[in-house]
Amino acid sequence: MIRPPERDASGRFVKPEEDMPIPNDDDMHPMSKVLFGWVSSPRTPLALLILVILISIGLVLFDFGLDRHEKVEMANANGFYALWGFGAFALAVLSGWPLGKLLRRDEDYYGEAETTPNDVERDA
Amino acid sequence: MSGFLGQINPGLLLILVGFAGCLIPVQRVRQALMVATPVVAIILLALAERATDLAVVPVLGFDMILYRVDSLSFIFALAFLIASFLNAIYALHTDDRLQDGMALAYAGAAVAATLAGDLMTLFIFWEITAVSSVFLILRAGTKAAYQAAMRYLGVQIFSGVLLLDGLAYVYKSTGALSLDAFTSFDQPGAKFVFAAFAIKAAFPFLHNWLQDAYPKATVVGAVVLSAFTTKLAVYAFARMFPGFEILIWIGAIMTVFPVFFAVIENDLRKVLSYSLNNQLGFMICAIGIGTPLAINGAAAHAFAHIIYKGLLFMSMGAVLYRVGTAKASELGGLYKSMPWTTIFCIIGAVSISAFPLFSGFVAKSMTMSAVAYEGYVIVWAMLLFASAGVLEHSGIKIPYFTFFGHDSGIRVKEAPFNMLLAMGMAAFICIAIGLPTIGGFGYGWLYNMLPCTVTAPADVCLMSGDEIKPYKPYTADHILTQMQLLMFAVLAFILLKRFGLYPPERPGTILDTDWVYRRPGYNAVMWAGRVWAKAGPAMTSVFAGIGARTFEKIETTFSPRGALARGPLTVSMAMWSAVLLGIVMLVVLLAT
Repeated sequence: MIRPPERDASGRFVKPEEDMPIPNDDDMHPMSKVLFGWVSSPRTPLALLILVILISIGLVLFDFGLDRHEKVEMANANGFYALWGFGAFALAVLSGWPLGKLLRRDEDYYGEAETTPNDVERDA
Repeated sequence: MSGFLGQINPGLLLILVGFAGCLIPVQRVRQALMVATPVVAIILLALAERATDLAVVPVLGFDMILYRVDSLSFIFALAFLIASFLNAIYALHTDDRLQDGMALAYAGAAVAATLAGDLMTLFIFWEITAVSSVFLILRAGTKAAYQAAMRYLGVQIFSGVLLLDGLAYVYKSTGALSLDAFTSFDQPGAKFVFAAFAIKAAFPFLHNWLQDAYPKATVVGAVVLSAFTTKLAVYAFARMFPGFEILIWIGAIMTVFPVFFAVIENDLRKVLSYSLNNQLGFMICAIGIGTPLAINGAAAHAFAHIIYKGLLFMSMGAVLYRVGTAKASELGGLYKSMPWTTIFCIIGAVSISAFPLFSGFVAKSMTMSAVAYEGYVIVWAMLLFASAGVLEHSGIKIPYFTFFGHDSGIRVKEAPFNMLLAMGMAAFICIAIGLPTIGGFGYGWLYNMLPCTVTAPADVCLMSGDEIKPYKPYTADHILTQMQLLMFAVLAFILLKRFGLYPPERPGTILDTDWVYRRPGYNAVMWAGRVWAKAGPAMTSVFAGIGARTFEKIETTFSPRGALARGPLTVSMAMWSAVLLGIVMLVVLLAT
């Protein structure tokens, strides 16, 4: 059975607190610190957003300077692919709200909830 | 020497070693064979003479062409063999004779089917892929896996039965079992063969076996399964149904509908299965277009897809192996303990999303261009939508919710070395064939193997009659438009997450069209069973009663103790003589 979902102050779903292991970075893989040390910085989300916005603006500006010859007429409009990419992605994601309500059932709906195969690590 | 070696079918070699591997108890010996055999097979394939019947066996009055290589079958067979090699390395941490052997035999059957020169040979290896692959699901050892394996086997065998029907019609009408392309559905057997291929290619409404079985397979099994069956069907379509317009629309629908299921699915191996369906759509659409550029696009996409989809399944398999689950709602923050797996997963993700410099870009560009050149604007728009959808479910959802996102607090060991090695090699190929051509690397290596080249066109390319021109993926137009599409989709993701509009990952079963036969269909059968269980005995007693009374009447009339036996013998003789005479007279009267 699915437990009733809990929401945080902003209305987002969160896992029940007792199910959450306490994050601990002491045993972080040394290579993780090298490759992804920047990920856990509190500034990262905003920096990433600004970077993506700057790249996106740059791509649209570059489009104005490029004389494209598309076979599909509407694709010749400047920024067409940008709009299509944004719109398509948003449509796909936002459709998840009604579709989830419509199509999601309990994990054991078909009477076979357990699907962890036998060849996982024993202490997994 | 090369002449003799060039006549050995690499697929048959894999099948034989695979079956033998099931009997070898020494793990290291068996696994050395599993790794070495695909390498030997690649050498054999390279030595084979093209467009020649290399192994012909007379059976029941017609010639079975067991081995024939041309530019279309070559690239598919090579992709299968590379995948088989990577899979064998990925499986080195396990000690499972049946899984090792069947994985190799399954790969061999796919290779042999690809290299078949007639329909009967194709049918035989088609069926071997079905039977050998089911063990990769069964070895998961769970009840759910067993039930899914039975459904999977039923569907796969049904596909084989349809193919057998089709080839029977073809043989009856033409007296041969050629793999020449059909030109119309009106040709005898065309519809059966099409339906057989459609099942294995997981067409809409025929796709459920894929999302049902693959996520329930073993860690290794799902990786192996992702490579062969569906791409064999893509090859078969390219061989026998190029340029069939209906494939354009079916393919376009295939690219779009899995996007919506993948968004709400929580099991990440199932997300990858939907993503697989979406990718097949691009290939099927290209085959429907049927021009040399489109056929090349389908072949290049299949090659690149086999590697990057395998890589994504490998990374999710590594997570499942270490953590014990592949559910997005339970994962997050794994980059802290599995950095190499994270890197390889990201390479697979950007490859499937078709970022420039990665394999998906040089492959998918051809299909998109071919669709646009032929003026299918709606289809083109659908494929463009699906391209953003791919980024959503495979490019972002898979790596983000597994390795980043909310830290689940789970700390595990990095994946075993053999898994990392296999993922590293797959990641290398994703980059190597995606780069601009520099010093032997780059997309030129892949493009030189494509079926429709000026020097060695395959039969399917000659049919179209179009001029074969070199294709250049790295133009300013292509790079700019693709980057616009992807970066704005990434921007949409960041904004949706920031404003809490991204649907949460929640556990649950997502209903798909298999609900029809798994719930109402199953319930109807169970109800019919219960009705029969109750009505059966009652009906049996009714029939038994009628039978007994009939027998009793006959006995009371005709037996030695019956009515006709009473009195002297002459009485009954006289009565029967009168009856027979009356019948004869009646017949004569009616006849005159």
